[in-house]
Amino acid sequence: MRSRCLLSLLVGLLVPLLAKAEGKPNVSFERDILPIFQSRCFSCHDGRKQTADYRLDVRSVAMKGGESGKPAIVPGKPDSSDLVRRILSDDAEIMMPPSGKRLSNEQITAIKRWIEAGADWPNALANEATGKVHWAFVLPSRPSVPNGTTWANNPIDRFIQERLTRENLQPSPRADRVTLVRRLYLDLLGLPPRPEEVDAFVHDSRPDAYERLVDQLLASPHFGERWGRLWLDAARYADSDGFEKDKPRFVWFYRDWVVRAINQDLPYDRFIIEQIAGDLLSPSPLTPLCSERDTRTQLLPSGQRGEETLQEQFVATGYLRNSMINEEGGIDPEQFRMEAMFDRMDAIGKGILGLTIQCAQCHSHKYDPLTQTDYYRMFAFLNNAHEANVTVYTPLEHAKRAELFRQMREIESELQHRKPDWRQAMAKWEQSVRGPLPQWTILRPRVHDESTGGQKYLLQADGSFLAQGYAPTKHRVHFEITTEAREITAFQLELLTDPNLPRGGPGRSIEGTGALSEFEVEWAPADAPTKKQRVKWKQATADVAMPVTPLKAIYDDKSNKKRLLGPIAFAIDGKDETAWGIDLDPGRRNQPRKAVFVAETPLRSDKGITLHLYLKQYHGGWNSDDNQNNNLGRLRLSLTATPDPVADPLPAAVRAILAKNDEDRTPGEVQTLFSYWRTTVAEWREANARIEALWKQHPEGTTQLILSERQEPRSTHLLKRGDFLKPGDRVEGGTPAFLHPFPEDAPRNRLGFARWLVDRRSPTTARAAVNRIWQAYFGIGLVSTSEDLGTQCEPPSHPELLDWLATEFLESGWEMKRLHRLIVTSATYQQSSRLTPELAIRDPQNHLLTRGPRLRVDAEVVRDIALSASGLLYPRLGGPSVYPPLPGHLLLPPASYGPKVWKEETGPDRYRRALYTFRFRSVPYPALQVFDAPNGDFACVKRPRSNTPLQALTSLNEPMFIECARGLAGRVLRDKSTDEERLIQAFRLCVARPPSSAELSILKDILERQRVRFQNQPAQAKELLAEGPAIDGSISRPEAAAWVAVARVLLNLDETITKE
Amino acid sequence: MFTPPRSANLIARRWFLQQCGIGLGAAALHQLLLDEGRAAPVTPSDPLAPRAAHHAAKAKRVIFLFMAGAPSQLELFDYKPQLAKLDGQLPPPSLIEGYRAAFINPGSRFLGPRFKFARHGQSGAEISELLPHTAKMADELAIVRSCVTDAFNHAPGQLMMNTGAQQFGRPSFGAWTLYGLGSESRNLPGFVVFSSGSKGPSGGNSCWGSGFLPTVYEGVQFRSGGDPVLYLSNPRGIDDAAQRETLESVNRLNQLRLQVTGDPEIATRIASYEMAYRMQSHAPEVMDLTREPRHILELYGVEPGKSSFAANCLLARRLIERGVRFVQLYHEAWDQHGNLKNDLKKNCLHTDQACAALLKDLKQRDLLKDTLVIWGGEFGRTPMVQGGGDDGRDHHPNAFTMWFAGGGIKPGITLGTTDEFGFNAIEDRVHVHDLHATLLHLLGFDHTRLTYKFQGRQFRLTDVHGKLVTKLLA
Repeated sequence: MRSRCLLSLLVGLLVPLLAKAEGKPNVSFERDILPIFQSRCFSCHDGRKQTADYRLDVRSVAMKGGESGKPAIVPGKPDSSDLVRRILSDDAEIMMPPSGKRLSNEQITAIKRWIEAGADWPNALANEATGKVHWAFVLPSRPSVPNGTTWANNPIDRFIQERLTRENLQPSPRADRVTLVRRLYLDLLGLPPRPEEVDAFVHDSRPDAYERLVDQLLASPHFGERWGRLWLDAARYADSDGFEKDKPRFVWFYRDWVVRAINQDLPYDRFIIEQIAGDLLSPSPLTPLCSERDTRTQLLPSGQRGEETLQEQFVATGYLRNSMINEEGGIDPEQFRMEAMFDRMDAIGKGILGLTIQCAQCHSHKYDPLTQTDYYRMFAFLNNAHEANVTVYTPLEHAKRAELFRQMREIESELQHRKPDWRQAMAKWEQSVRGPLPQWTILRPRVHDESTGGQKYLLQADGSFLAQGYAPTKHRVHFEITTEAREITAFQLELLTDPNLPRGGPGRSIEGTGALSEFEVEWAPADAPTKKQRVKWKQATADVAMPVTPLKAIYDDKSNKKRLLGPIAFAIDGKDETAWGIDLDPGRRNQPRKAVFVAETPLRSDKGITLHLYLKQYHGGWNSDDNQNNNLGRLRLSLTATPDPVADPLPAAVRAILAKNDEDRTPGEVQTLFSYWRTTVAEWREANARIEALWKQHPEGTTQLILSERQEPRSTHLLKRGDFLKPGDRVEGGTPAFLHPFPEDAPRNRLGFARWLVDRRSPTTARAAVNRIWQAYFGIGLVSTSEDLGTQCEPPSHPELLDWLATEFLESGWEMKRLHRLIVTSATYQQSSRLTPELAIRDPQNHLLTRGPRLRVDAEVVRDIALSASGLLYPRLGGPSVYPPLPGHLLLPPASYGPKVWKEETGPDRYRRALYTFRFRSVPYPALQVFDAPNGDFACVKRPRSNTPLQALTSLNEPMFIECARGLAGRVLRDKSTDEERLIQAFRLCVARPPSSAELSILKDILERQRVRFQNQPAQAKELLAEGPAIDGSISRPEAAAWVAVARVLLNLDETITKE
Repeated sequence: MFTPPRSANLIARRWFLQQCGIGLGAAALHQLLLDEGRAAPVTPSDPLAPRAAHHAAKAKRVIFLFMAGAPSQLELFDYKPQLAKLDGQLPPPSLIEGYRAAFINPGSRFLGPRFKFARHGQSGAEISELLPHTAKMADELAIVRSCVTDAFNHAPGQLMMNTGAQQFGRPSFGAWTLYGLGSESRNLPGFVVFSSGSKGPSGGNSCWGSGFLPTVYEGVQFRSGGDPVLYLSNPRGIDDAAQRETLESVNRLNQLRLQVTGDPEIATRIASYEMAYRMQSHAPEVMDLTREPRHILELYGVEPGKSSFAANCLLARRLIERGVRFVQLYHEAWDQHGNLKNDLKKNCLHTDQACAALLKDLKQRDLLKDTLVIWGGEFGRTPMVQGGGDDGRDHHPNAFTMWFAGGGIKPGITLGTTDEFGFNAIEDRVHVHDLHATLLHLLGFDHTRLTYKFQGRQFRLTDVHGKLVTKLLA
């Protein structure tokens, strides 16, 4: 185990040496020479620095030589090449490198041999056209396709073959049909084929059987699950906030959007545009669900057709919102909004542009021509949005809403029909409510920091406070202000909606609601601030009367007290257990509300009045590290001297309509008005009650984090050293000059930026996309640094092929499925993955594609193979994330920061595809983490692929793997009747092919030994079968247990979790 | 045990078989091959094989006692008599200009030290009455009172201390250590993490993550009760013999496949299964504290069978004795915004004896000389009060105390001075980056050369910063 590996030598040394031994000079510039230049020469001789006027990154200059005037590289003549003279010399005057270690003998030999063989330097790496521009920053031009032999199925193969020919290598033979069908299933669906599916393909003698299978799999809904997961890595998807609190979030609508988009083959440009700016795509006839002024109020929402399409588009912007959120105590929310912005930039850089742009948040890029100003100009496009959290509905819920609203409208039409003079009656009512309203003076009090429990009350321009940051479940915030008022009769508390609150607010609870346990005021004359008196209340009114309702279980504080929500009187009853609530029903929860508190005797002082206002918010749950707060989200305080004011029962939106002249009102506004007015008409009590009952049926919906554009733009500044407290010059939205120009017809906003990202003239976007897809099939991209195509990237193994694929992708209209089809129907893809001794030496990493890929499958596929082979898989698509078994202690302190809720599934959801497993960032699901699944902390475009003992422990002992072993055993015991049939079937369920006779005899051997073991130890047999899927009772327990043991062996085979 | 298949008469295959250790896939190997920053020649297929560092190392292994939540230096190590005199007074405005606090108004009143201090040992180190056991080890410690960090919220602060960056995604100190030195243990993970206290660490798994390094370098969470490693126990109904048979069948079938495909990954997998099996027998043995003599249990204050910080300290010693490279103990309990006096007392009661015992025990086994022991949290606490009861302090990044012992650390010194309020470190400031540079130096690395190429750039633990603190070196 400790023996040293020779692989490093293979790459650096043996390749040329062995080649020489065989008389085949085949030093490769990109593989053998360029890395030497990069690591030992570029620091003084490249685009940034050309000591002695010499550079080794441009072919012509490298050949010609620098100021010495001597030719540096003379093809075929190492002895006449100045470069060779210098790397061999000991003379301090001429030796290169001038200091540090000498080049190794191997490196010197490689360079000499390369020159001797003609110093072949491929055009794609010549850097010639511009002299300075890195290849990936130049728009790919369509290379001519080399000639090929009959081996080639499509142009991909001709590029591959050309290179192989140059290297004197042959492609591997085509893999057998069983291997191919399993490879295709694993690659396209992430699921293994069932034996009957294998047989169907093997026996399909039609000449286009393979292509038919490809089309069939590309059309499967599981295709989107497999390839969606890969995009979700780049989109850093997770189901929790990250950081210390790491609260659950509900963003699976975005996950399902990705799967659907891929299944529907949404063109890649559209796929990106919707994720960056879907909310800006169509100026909507509908009220956006997250408008700054929520006008839905308690009126009839439109429920118009198109609501679903619109939802799809803004759900897509969840891509940008997959950033983490820090709500630990004492944070500055703006600091972490900036962190999220940096994260979005990083994700766009790595995932879409294929460039590392992160470093430019602090300073101009060291290697790529990206300036810090460029960075913040792109940043400015994204910086103008709310961090919105909106309610979204499933198609069924949409239908339900539409139906409810239809019924409500029907009732309303009926009322209008029954009362033909309703317009006059409404006009009369309008007059009656027009009377002068109390004058409210808005207060901008100071917040006592120590009273907020760590929550930040951010003062807004309109005098309201927006609650952000940490959300304690219980606190009593203390506001203080000295006013010039000489008389105060009453206070008004407005609860306002805000896109940055859950479901738009007005509360901070997970439902967007909040509760006011008590409203308390102390006052003193401004000239005698210590003479504080408590204000006694005469009455309180509100524009909503919630029936008395026990607090929901999610707000349980484990106190066993009877805690209630109800009318506004609960806020002045002196009882902490009762609170003013605003939660009428899911359809009317998230609206602005107001309450007015009238003092028993007016507050009077000639010198002004000092006020201490306390808002007790005690109706949250026991755990502030979970989604249990029930706080007010955005609130505004004001005062009046008007006697005995009441809370205006009319919603602000209705007041706004009333302010308009009759003739300026739209039909919709008239309808809105009517919908409010009818609730005041006594004779319509029965109809109103029917509508009330309909509201109670309104679906809950779920939430989604999205971006929604602000009406008032933020100004963006360059941040010195990336520090949000050190703003530098103001910048306007823009894109880096070294990339393609901004589309002329595009708006200069986030949507324009999105269009720029996928502009056809982008030199990196298409290359990055095809490279990543290639990487998923072959394990290594044509550029192996798939996250970075910038100047520091690894040179492409097949530059012309990369460009051909990129241009082909563009010309096809960014069709992803077409690209997949092209790759999997190539002869290159269909090669056998067998590693021959020759290939082990000549192409150990398969950079040259001398064979098919043989790779351990991704973490999710590991799990899905076991579920599928066992027959337990529940293949339902989409929906909320699920909770398969997980060791409970991981979710409790001290393993986890706070206790986390994990309701282990007992129904079929226990066996869903791993895509749907709930992902806590701070507690990654162990059976996925161990197989290198990323946890979503940041964008990941290239997973590592490790092979460790902890993986072995997982597949040997983890409970779900054991359940799968039981499932697999039960399945073959049920479906087949002899030992041999059962063994073959079980084997095929795992690896598709039948076992060889040697393998079969090993399996028979273990079966026999386990039979004996469990017959002798029946208690152990019982234990092994104790949990999970039951095995037919007619089979003896020792027999069943022996089969479970065999199934366990099969699920642990390398081949089972490997794509061959 | 695994032997190369007989038909492997081909040179290439034999090479692969001999090379194949554990952990990396072929593509990842390629990445490692490209790295020049690593000290010794890379042995790509066994990324955990022990390796020599850049220079002779004083420290061969690390035990990091991470006091998560940020202990109050003003009650434990940084005695400020002047602050006691200023108790209840407001800080001078010049002091707090531009200062951001997490919870409090920076202009809050000063709070004098709540506990008594005395000088200890020949070195005369000033240590609080709360730490009587640690005080007895004063002459082994290098106490640094002038630590400085950039973060003042827990998760970013813990990430900073562990990874040198406040953002997620960078490898932890333990991961870098393992990447640089490999592991001496073939039966246990090279980087082990324990948690105790009232909560888990705020930074979560990322505190011991491998960031962009291969995942084999990330810390593995152990726990002192139940299965020490996830899925270590056989499933119910599978005894050791059955497990062994299973393993042998798996390996035999894998060997057949290896012959057909020639893929060295299969050999690696066979080796992984063997190591997993060895871990199954070794890990429980390591974790079994009943094997320790009574006087050792008493020294640490361990009750066998009961999870505690003390038990974790003793386990740390047992693990490093068996070749584990890096052990990190999180004790998340030190976030005293309120209830400062009682909670500090309690925390010290839970940790002081065990910390001292660990040093004493390592010393008596002659392990302290090449084991680096680190004690400290993610930042410090404000000299200003938090809350009304004169019983709390807020987060404070400008000055805090850590101590170090063993592994080439100069014993019996107190380094650094803070101003009279304990607010700013004014002499011998040691930034987290400097700390990392120094600790890597003790492990044998030039921190500027322990690098890994990612996203087109050579990354390192100290980013572009870090100065060696030579005064800490023995």
